[in-house]
Amino acid sequence: MPSTKLLILGALAIGAISVTSPATATAVPDSITLNQNGKLYQPFSFDHAQHILLIKECSDCHHHTTGTLVLDPNCARCHQNSSPTAVVSCKGCHSSTPFSPETLAEKRAHKERFHQDKMGLKGAMHENCIGCHKKMGTGPAGCQDCHPRNAKGDAFYSADRKGAKPAHAKEH
Amino acid sequence: MKKMIQHGLAVVDSPYTESGEKRSVMNKLLLGLTPSQYLLQAFRNPFNWILAAIFAVGLPILIGRFFFGLSWATSGSCDYPWGLFLGFGLFAMVPLSSSGFQLGTACEIFGRHDLEPIERLALLNGLLGYFFAVVYLLVDLGQPWRLPYPMVVSFGPAAVLFLVAWHVATYLSVQVLEVSTSFFEWIGFPAGKQAVRRITLGLTVSGIILSTLHQGALGALFTYAPGKVHPLWYSSSFQWLHFFVSSLPGGLCMVITVSTIAAKTMTWRRDGRFQQSLDRITISLAKGACMGLATYITIKLIAIAHDNKWSYIDSGWGQWFLLEIILGFMLPLVLMTYGVHTRKMPVVRMGAFMTVFGVVLNRVNTAIITFNWKLPEREIPPWREVVISLTIFAIYIVVYRFILYRLPILYKWKMQEEVVPATEAVRAPAPGRRETNQVPVASYSGMTKLD
Amino acid sequence: MKRRNFLKACLIGGTTVALGKTNKGWASGSFEGYPEAMGVLVDTTRCVGCRSCEAACNKEQSLPEPDTSFDDKSVFEEPRRPTAKAYTVVNEYEKKSPGGPVYRKMQCNHCNEPACLTSCFVNAYTKTKEGAVIYNSKVCVGCRNCMIACPFNVPGYDYDSVTNPVIKKCILCYDTRLKVGKPPACVEICPQEALTFGHRADLIKLAHERIRANPDRYYDHVYGEKEVGGTSWLYLSRTEFDKIGFDTTLNNEPIISNVKDFLGMVPMVLSIWPALFSGIHLLSKHDTQQEHGHDTESTQEDR
Ligand code: SF4
Ligand code: SF4
Ligand code: SF4
Repeated sequence: MPSTKLLILGALAIGAISVTSPATATAVPDSITLNQNGKLYQPFSFDHAQHILLIKECSDCHHHTTGTLVLDPNCARCHQNSSPTAVVSCKGCHSSTPFSPETLAEKRAHKERFHQDKMGLKGAMHENCIGCHKKMGTGPAGCQDCHPRNAKGDAFYSADRKGAKPAHAKEH
Repeated sequence: MKKMIQHGLAVVDSPYTESGEKRSVMNKLLLGLTPSQYLLQAFRNPFNWILAAIFAVGLPILIGRFFFGLSWATSGSCDYPWGLFLGFGLFAMVPLSSSGFQLGTACEIFGRHDLEPIERLALLNGLLGYFFAVVYLLVDLGQPWRLPYPMVVSFGPAAVLFLVAWHVATYLSVQVLEVSTSFFEWIGFPAGKQAVRRITLGLTVSGIILSTLHQGALGALFTYAPGKVHPLWYSSSFQWLHFFVSSLPGGLCMVITVSTIAAKTMTWRRDGRFQQSLDRITISLAKGACMGLATYITIKLIAIAHDNKWSYIDSGWGQWFLLEIILGFMLPLVLMTYGVHTRKMPVVRMGAFMTVFGVVLNRVNTAIITFNWKLPEREIPPWREVVISLTIFAIYIVVYRFILYRLPILYKWKMQEEVVPATEAVRAPAPGRRETNQVPVASYSGMTKLD
Repeated sequence: MKRRNFLKACLIGGTTVALGKTNKGWASGSFEGYPEAMGVLVDTTRCVGCRSCEAACNKEQSLPEPDTSFDDKSVFEEPRRPTAKAYTVVNEYEKKSPGGPVYRKMQCNHCNEPACLTSCFVNAYTKTKEGAVIYNSKVCVGCRNCMIACPFNVPGYDYDSVTNPVIKKCILCYDTRLKVGKPPACVEICPQEALTFGHRADLIKLAHERIRANPDRYYDHVYGEKEVGGTSWLYLSRTEFDKIGFDTTLNNEPIISNVKDFLGMVPMVLSIWPALFSGIHLLSKHDTQQEHGHDTESTQEDR
């Protein structure tokens, strides 16, 4: 498997660059526009630089792909000595279509793979952001705190419906 | 009606009038009265006023249910999909109608001809009970016009309800045939009667099969909801047996009840044979009912012991259960046994009323009151649902009475072939009675004005 | 009684038996579900109660507008159940727990051996090979037995409709999505990926793997793996399941196995009764002929 090795080598090189030169805007973006293709919510800008300052530890969000090696004993079983990877962005690993027929077929074809239960992109990001914000007791945790809804979203959530009382279980 | 007969009206009990003319169907329908006389007697009866009041309110609401939908008429609850219409109408009417097959079996299979005077009443009670259970069902079904679907369009043979549908439908036709003998006599179509008589045994046997199965099946319907029916009313292995066995005294006691009411309110309609044998027959029926009750109470207690549910008795539900089984089953058993031994008819009849009450309460408890006992809220049927249920029950009473007034159920139709030998013997008292009253038939219309 | 009459009687009994024959085929209790069945794993530890799944279902299934908007959190004040107007609802439990409230989405669980299906007397329900339990509104009579039978209290009935009331429940988005391999609308929208779509068999492994990897996070049980014969929707929870609104008294046996006692008795009655009672009749006829033979009716019959 020479090609794979080459790839990994290359990845290592790029990874080294990006980690060692945090000032390089192209490698470590200061801000990222998220939800670019959002249908119900507007795109918004994520302040990556601020998070770097606050958390400092890249691997808190990026697993073993960059920063300090993982300490989680479960991950450490394999990734104790893993080197940083070329691809560190969330969408590089987390699929935006985790349940499409193709993804499912691919999963089924690789039953031996350990990360069968890898979350999709949307799930991973929400889980990561909201999870941490809640744990830290700071940072936005509600939907519109990050991304305001657009008109389509308002219609989708029937935002104009303001029932006097909640829609109860007992519907008569 | 009683007054009119006192004043010399001859009851319709043969194809011929007093003067030997053949009665027309109209004449038979009006009980031998003229239309105005008929209306008059209807107006005089206070019970009719009560019925009229019920219909005045109930019929528009009943019709409204088909125009405004179920949510308008019933609670339309998802947690209690079966309300009064089925909980009372279907589940309670059917066990009270088991009389038809029981008396049919006793008379036709076991050769208990001593019970024959009441056989027809029992058959009619069965037919009407089932018929109105189906009426209740039609009111309750979301799409009643699709009722024949399980027979012709789409089959769900693994479903207990599929059995119920088929069996009730078949049994209803069997019962129509069984009761039709009275109708054929009344209308004057002996060939029809002969034809039906010939297949009586077949009809009776299929009646037993169908009844055993669907009385039980109604119970088995609840085995689909093991966690929802309160454990005291539920038993996964015995549920069908409980329903079947309790339907036996239920049906017999319903016949006692109806015959008591009929004997009290329709004195003019019953004939000597019925009158003289009624007490004796009631005793026989009560004996049967006692056996049924004893069996039911035993298997009910066995089921509770079998699943070790005693701890449930010590709760609000448990007390309710005790009330049902004591008032509705145990006390009647005691009353009827005592009554039978001492020949105290009122005691026997009281016991029978209570059994009917007990069976109805048991079904309503299973289907509505204790259903979904784990949910925090209980469903109280809205007033329209209650009114519609009452209205249908009132229609049931009216139809019941209409038929009893006319068809030879409580009395024996004097057959054409018997007319000649029987005229002297049987019709003799009639002219005699008229003579004592000294009011000739002709002056009868004048009499009604006087009253 | 004439021999001919007796034969006739037997014939009628016989037709009833034949009629009963069709009733004998009921599903076997050991059915394990279709091997290729899909399912959804609901990880209640991930759910944040955003109700997006409710909104998605409402739009996907063209349900009527809700009484109040889908971001109104006041609906959590009382527990709700799926109805004809909302195939799925999210309820809040453990409101005062230090670990924060737990949210649980509920909808049809798409049982391997659905009680709704087996209780339906016009066979309106179908369990598709994809795992969905779908419903044919064209044959439904509206007896609502399925609502009685469903152990999860799922099917709703649109009582409001006068001319065409039908049962309404989650169909796993069968028509619009599942059929072509796409995940259901609620799964697709869930921001937390609290809902994982996949083959049921894989999901079970995955669920146990999550419990193994995070024993502190999960209560060690996969709800729906075995309950009432297994369901296509599976659940993971932080606490015991009865604390978050699940019925933990359900057996692992499918509901239909409760009914088998009765169904098993049916053919017996159908075949034994006619012979038994005709026999008794002949015997009693013989005995009582002398005593009661004078009755008009029976003499006519015996003529
Ligand atoms: S959850 Fe209820 S409605 Fe859904 S398949 Fe199971 S029994 Fe049927
Ligand atoms: S699977 Fe489809 S129908 Fe079922 S709850 Fe989800 S969105 Fe609604
Ligand atoms: S969309 Fe997901 S997170 Fe939101 S309520 Fe539904 S299941 Fe929970």
